[in-house]
Amino acid sequence: MAIRTSGLGKSYGTTGDTRVEALADVSLEFGKGRFTAIMGPSGSGKSTLLHCLAGLDRPTAGQVMLGDVELTRLDEKRLTHLRRDRIGFVFQAFNLVPTLTALENITLPLDLANRKADAEWLDKVITTIGLQDRLKHKPSELSGGQQQRVACARALASRPEVVFADEPTGNLDSRSSADVLGFLHRSVRDFGQTVVMVTHDPTAASYADRVVFLADGRLQDELLDPTADSVLERMKKLDTQEAG
Amino acid sequence: MLKLGLRSVLAHRLRFVLCTIAVLLGVAFVGGALIFTDTLSAALKKNFAGHPADIVVSPVVTLKNNPGLSNARAATLSSDLASRIAAVPGVAGTDPQLLVPGGQILGTDGKPTDAFGLPTYAAGWPHDGHTATFRLLDGKPPWGQQQLGIDQPTAKREGYEIGDQVKVITPAKAITATLTAITSPNLSGTSAGAPLITFDAATAQLLLLGRPGWTSISVAVHPGQDVATVSKAITELVGKDVSVRTAAQVSADAESALDDSFGGFSAVLLLFAGIALFVGTFLIINTFAMLVAQRSRELGMLRAIGASRGQITRTVLTEALVIGAVGSTLGLMLGAGVAAALQAFYKSLDLAIPGSNLQVSVTTVIACYAVGIGVTLLAAYPAARRAGKLSPVAAMRDDASVPERSLLVRLLIGGFLLLMTAILCGAAFTLRGLPATILLGLAAALALLGVVMTSPLISRYAVRGLMSPFGRKAPVTLGRRNAERNPRRTSATASALMISLALISGLVVIAASAKASINQNLKDTIGTAELLVSADEPFSSQVGDKVAKVNGVASVHRVRQMPGDLDGNRITVAGVDDGTIDGPISTRFESGSANGLKDGQAVIPRNLARQLKLTVGEKFVLTTTTGKQTLTVAGIIAPNRQLNAVILALPTFSQVGGGTTDTTLYVEVADGTDFATVRQTVASQLTDYPTVEVRDQQAYAQSQRQPINLVLAAIAMLLTLAILIAILGIVNTLALGVIERTREIGLLRAIGMDGPQLRRMLQVEAIAIALLGSLLGLLIGVLFGMAIQNVMKEDGLSVLDIPVLQLAIAVVVSAAVGVLAAVWPSRRAAKLDVLRAIATE
Repeated sequence: MAIRTSGLGKSYGTTGDTRVEALADVSLEFGKGRFTAIMGPSGSGKSTLLHCLAGLDRPTAGQVMLGDVELTRLDEKRLTHLRRDRIGFVFQAFNLVPTLTALENITLPLDLANRKADAEWLDKVITTIGLQDRLKHKPSELSGGQQQRVACARALASRPEVVFADEPTGNLDSRSSADVLGFLHRSVRDFGQTVVMVTHDPTAASYADRVVFLADGRLQDELLDPTADSVLERMKKLDTQEAG
Repeated sequence: MLKLGLRSVLAHRLRFVLCTIAVLLGVAFVGGALIFTDTLSAALKKNFAGHPADIVVSPVVTLKNNPGLSNARAATLSSDLASRIAAVPGVAGTDPQLLVPGGQILGTDGKPTDAFGLPTYAAGWPHDGHTATFRLLDGKPPWGQQQLGIDQPTAKREGYEIGDQVKVITPAKAITATLTAITSPNLSGTSAGAPLITFDAATAQLLLLGRPGWTSISVAVHPGQDVATVSKAITELVGKDVSVRTAAQVSADAESALDDSFGGFSAVLLLFAGIALFVGTFLIINTFAMLVAQRSRELGMLRAIGASRGQITRTVLTEALVIGAVGSTLGLMLGAGVAAALQAFYKSLDLAIPGSNLQVSVTTVIACYAVGIGVTLLAAYPAARRAGKLSPVAAMRDDASVPERSLLVRLLIGGFLLLMTAILCGAAFTLRGLPATILLGLAAALALLGVVMTSPLISRYAVRGLMSPFGRKAPVTLGRRNAERNPRRTSATASALMISLALISGLVVIAASAKASINQNLKDTIGTAELLVSADEPFSSQVGDKVAKVNGVASVHRVRQMPGDLDGNRITVAGVDDGTIDGPISTRFESGSANGLKDGQAVIPRNLARQLKLTVGEKFVLTTTTGKQTLTVAGIIAPNRQLNAVILALPTFSQVGGGTTDTTLYVEVADGTDFATVRQTVASQLTDYPTVEVRDQQAYAQSQRQPINLVLAAIAMLLTLAILIAILGIVNTLALGVIERTREIGLLRAIGMDGPQLRRMLQVEAIAIALLGSLLGLLIGVLFGMAIQNVMKEDGLSVLDIPVLQLAIAVVVSAAVGVLAAVWPSRRAAKLDVLRAIATE
């Protein structure tokens, strides 16, 4: 098991009417070498769940275990170092530091940790994203799709235990989306990487091995070996359940 | 648009804080300087609300800026003249006065009383107390050498009461007498407030002049007579060597003399205020440039919904107006506070200056607001104009940016300025001497402006090189790239520090060279005199007589000095004993000799000879306090620190108005006697004269350097404010950068940058700016310091000294300052919530 939550809850405000529950009693397991998509309508808590899983946000109830480490118990500094060493990130946008070249962006987490990159691995990752000839370029000289692929490469460069992707294709056209998702898929299939991705796009979710559905901060359903159609169908069903 | 501007200032008030402080500090300096000088001069003017006499007759002043203390004989009028004036129709009576600078009141501990730099005056008691420029407050007028009076503030400070024995030192000799009168301080003219010693008139003439005579004659006019008519009649009687003024004219003259001296004082303060404001301008420029850049979307949106270019520009300028007004108001208040504190300090010194309310004149208020608002508007204008040029589409784009003019224009302007600098330097090097330093000063200002204009280009290449010693770790690389990413911003921030450091390092080089030159020259001119006897003010010739009698003293050579004027050049006139410049002081003659320096002959320094094109045997006219004399050049000497003067034999010196007090005694010790013993004996003989110091050559050289250290310390203190503002500029740039890069910092935090690394990143950016500014400043300052030394080689700065250690410390300190400047912004950056940072629109 790569990462596990039990009874995870996150609420804002303190008492009574002002209390908003973003997450409630979420218990989930994410298998090693698996590609999991988290889906749900806006406000379902899927991003909050991702932030709690990745150590960017602190839950107000329950636990998050990354391997044998309980994230919820770490202080700010340990959490930062854990993110640097054991977790990879791909955000929806603004993933790269504008003053650094593509290659420097890719190795940034390693550089921050004062670790040397594994040259062979790095080569493999860079070849897979197919940007060998653009490594010296600054982010402003790359297209949106290329930028997201560089971000994916950065997330993988330190061979993290889990890569978290937050709507990684939200700002991309369908060609670039396919590139990025194909790359994440291959990293799971070929390199045995563990990926957790938040998305609201059924096509994106179809690249995953498993889809979990969230609504109102609660786990609703899950689907194995999804296709775009089966995801869409399940979403409709959830919608009608809500309405009913 | 006004509303929008106001709203924007309120919304971004934190971002404007440092900007406002920069305006505030500059204005406070301006306001403080104006208020303080106005207040002090108003207080002093209260003193001479009017001369008690109707008409004052005094010798014509031949020398402008005649310093009070010298060995010059006081110009006097005779009693005979007083009686002749008394005979003029309309004159009710005359009352001669005697008031001269010089003298010391000793405290109960036997040490000279400290009147905070004011020279002590001595006066004779007039026949009629009503026409004197001081008043009797307690006791009765003194009579004979056994009685005297002193002023009340000094008496109070020292705890003297009527009947006490008080010791005073007069130009003639030291005297202990019974205190019979406590008077006000002198109340007339520019010496108002100075400590005062009083004797009866005859005793005063004996002790202060050594001869009969008066320094002025107070004239009373019959009631009903026209003062102007009587004054005219007196003028016709006395001729053109004597000045006749009505009381109103005396007051007006004193006021204008006071205004002159305060004018110089406030000009210096305002110069520093100007530097502070100029440095602050860079901070304001940066703030507005960054705010406009950050708000390009909002401004583009305003354009899209129909705001005109002018309206956008005016919105930004309105913000500047608000900042300027707030900063000026607070600055004016701070300035008044500082002035009040200074005034309280002066009052606590008990100088007998009557208190005056803080003088906040309308001019001061207008000047402060004009300066504060003007500077802010001017500094904000480029950003405001660029904001107006923003296209409406910018609002729609993600990477909206404010268009920036290409650096080419700046490069051209900068290049032109540097070319002008080179031309001015060339002119300065051909001209040489004191006038050349003015050209070099101008050139330095142009060079600084030129470098400011071209510095974005310089910074582009310099930052990488400067920061290479800091390694290539990720936070260092990121910090360095941040400094490189916006060269304008980095260079504007660095420019503020550059200007401050250029001024300081230039002055340090000049001061160090001056010190080294004095040392060198004193070493070169050390003659056979092993002991030097001197004091801060002229001392009695009895000192020399006493020293000459000491066993082991081979000879005593007297040197006397007074101010003079040669063709409009203010110079020092020295009178020396026979043989003084042939041995006791080592003098190098370029031509002529001192052999038998006869009556009417003079030895002059080389620079003066060159300037006036004088050669040996030629005649020149010397103006002194007593009039004009024609003298012949007997010799021309190389620059000599100990006697940088027109040198005359003592008899000639007396003829041209020299008095009987001495400035310095050069003492030769006899062969075969113990130097230390002789020195001790000499010192023990002079216990009656506590102001007189006995020094060996070393200690004398040290005392000569002292004033330079003081001047340097004062300048450094004033420039510290400029450096402070420059540091605020770095803090400002970093803090605004943190706000601007919120998202980027959030990303870095998310992928694992920890707090110390974040701090390091900002520190590196700050250090890069600080090093860039200080090194450029150092380079310019040292180069111009060297240039000024070079053109002044013949005029006192013979030796170049670059205090490497001090300058190196300045660079290290500025790097450390960079680290400090990063503290607050990095604390803010570390507090950023990662989630909100990456979610920022």
